[in-house]
Amino acid sequence: MARPRSKRGDLIEGLSYREKLSLASGVFMSEDATISPQSKQTPLNASRDARALIRLIQCPQCSLPFRSPVTLPCGRSLCRVCLPQPHRRENISYPNTPDRLTAVGCPFEECGKEHPEGDCSVDVCLSKIMETIHDVVNSCEPVPGDTPAKLWEIGTGSNPGNAGLRDQYSEHVHFGGRLLSMFAMAVMGHLNYHAEAEFSSLSNEGDDYQTMDDAVLGRLRETTHKELDCHVCYNMMYDPVTTPCGHTFCRKCLARVLDHSTHCPMCRRTLPIPPSLEQQPSNVRLVSLLQGLCPELVASRAEAVVAEEQLEMGEMDTRLFVCTLAFPSMPTFLHIFEPRYRLMIRRSLEGNRQFGMLTYNQHGVSQTDLGNTTFKEYGTMLSILNVHMLADGRSLVETMGLYRFRVRAHGTLDGYTVGRVERVEDVSLAEEERLEAQDITAVPVIDSPMEGRPSTARFNDITQLPTQQLLIEGLAFVQKMRAHSAPWLHQRIIEVNGGPPNDPALFPYWFASIIPIVDDEKYQLLQTTSVRERLKIVIGWIRRIESQRWYNGGNCLIL
Amino acid sequence: MALPKRIIKETERLMAEPVPGISAVPHEDNLRYFDVTIDGPSQSPYEQGTFKLELFLPDDYPMTPPKVRFLTKIYHPNIDKLGRICLDVLKSNWSPALQIRTILLSIQALLGAPNPDDPLANDVAKRWKEDQNAAIQTARDWTTQYAKK
Repeated sequence: MARPRSKRGDLIEGLSYREKLSLASGVFMSEDATISPQSKQTPLNASRDARALIRLIQCPQCSLPFRSPVTLPCGRSLCRVCLPQPHRRENISYPNTPDRLTAVGCPFEECGKEHPEGDCSVDVCLSKIMETIHDVVNSCEPVPGDTPAKLWEIGTGSNPGNAGLRDQYSEHVHFGGRLLSMFAMAVMGHLNYHAEAEFSSLSNEGDDYQTMDDAVLGRLRETTHKELDCHVCYNMMYDPVTTPCGHTFCRKCLARVLDHSTHCPMCRRTLPIPPSLEQQPSNVRLVSLLQGLCPELVASRAEAVVAEEQLEMGEMDTRLFVCTLAFPSMPTFLHIFEPRYRLMIRRSLEGNRQFGMLTYNQHGVSQTDLGNTTFKEYGTMLSILNVHMLADGRSLVETMGLYRFRVRAHGTLDGYTVGRVERVEDVSLAEEERLEAQDITAVPVIDSPMEGRPSTARFNDITQLPTQQLLIEGLAFVQKMRAHSAPWLHQRIIEVNGGPPNDPALFPYWFASIIPIVDDEKYQLLQTTSVRERLKIVIGWIRRIESQRWYNGGNCLIL
Repeated sequence: MALPKRIIKETERLMAEPVPGISAVPHEDNLRYFDVTIDGPSQSPYEQGTFKLELFLPDDYPMTPPKVRFLTKIYHPNIDKLGRICLDVLKSNWSPALQIRTILLSIQALLGAPNPDDPLANDVAKRWKEDQNAAIQTARDWTTQYAKK
């Protein structure tokens, strides 16, 4: 609803009063309002949009101002007394709580679903707003010298099914400007929810009550505002979601609450809603109220929500997850259960769907510029491919490695690690070629630092093997091990990770992802800056494996 | 890291409308750390005493409860020698809809209603159950000795 409105906003000056009226109210006819962060609306005007303002607090069923409003699970609101007669639900055995055994059919055509009675609680926030509105209206004493005005209800005719439209031009006389008099009409049941209203001053001086309307709206805005704060973040509600127990919070706040507990923060009732809140509709009426009363605040809240995370992260613009080793172009599967990482994953999903994966610094090795951190400084950026949400809020996350990085600075945000990272990239092809040529033409080194190990002599020639040859040797080893049915090359593992890539740049990552050797060894790959360097490390492992006695023994297939 | 708006608002409200008998003042260099004093409730053994506490708002507050500890020595079955407090709303019954104000009120109420059936200081709780009058007298003595205004 937000975008068309802002477009119309530019045109509105060129329209007649009647057209403006129907336009402005038409905006609020829809019960399917959503928030658009880009919306730059002007608030509803006290006299021009009086009808639309009153409609905001009218029950679409009985047309009276809400009496103990209930917001249904579909996000639409109506008076509690307007709820249809509950019926027994058939063929339901789970969860089988008494309040779920009866249900009401949703009276809103757009929904039409069955809502369990237990999910139809009085909307606490909307009820309080109604109370404050009544208080304000009651405190508006008739001003001396106030003159009455004549009002007509005009059926729109667009709702033939609605029997509430009595005559086309019911006429009334009320005091107190447009807002108060239309409210009075609504209270008396003389203003159908779908109907328009015409207002005409009976004042001899031609007073159009604009000042009065503005004052009333100003007070309404001020008092209702207090009820529109979220009890979790203490900000004005942003994208309000109402729980089945009738309590309203910002969608983001409720999602964070559900990361930690499944109970409503206000009444501690167990919340029977999926923790991701993805399917949970916003409270349509509150969204409309917020948009109608203070669209500029809604817009600035939307911006603030986005900016908040960025600002808090500041330079630390990368979400980091200290968990395991991951490699570029290889999949990593994660089971997310801790609240802080649920939040981290959710924020990643809202953003670029990426986060950095780091491994633990188990031995407390000092990391170059960072000192002794809990993680090792080199990691892999992961991109989220799939998230499988479990009913209790845990999730299974499928990711793919993108590129390697090094952490240059780090901090925490809401419990998880964030940091400033620098991409680690391979040297240019020219440099790669130079390295290879340099290696191959070098004088063989006899005294290696690996002296004393049985494989010393064979290790040395790795340095002098051409890069292609290193890859061939790696692939040959894989083939040989597959022939031996090595369990780490089980079909299931190949299905997940794919077969060995023929790209020399990627083969080491694939190999490291499946070979069962310690992570400290594998971690070296993340620091390499040339393909050749990586392959040499991998062939080094292979040589070492091959040199082990148990391997040469033939029958033993521990590996 | 910037301070969440919620903490700023809570602090402002605590300053603007203080709770009678309770004060909470944030440290200038760490706005998540509060110096707290709670007056012992009247009709309790802690009457006439002013107890100092420290309160810290962790990073994920209000999703997790504030950490609160008595600094003044106190003889109470639900408060141990280190000043740690056994109170459900500080643990499993925490809700983000609670706040510093309500938590401190709960602690004040705990002083007025010791619960020796859910003890943290076992020796105190035992004595409280065996000889309540003596235990209350000790609590009174400690209040005079350590929590004198």
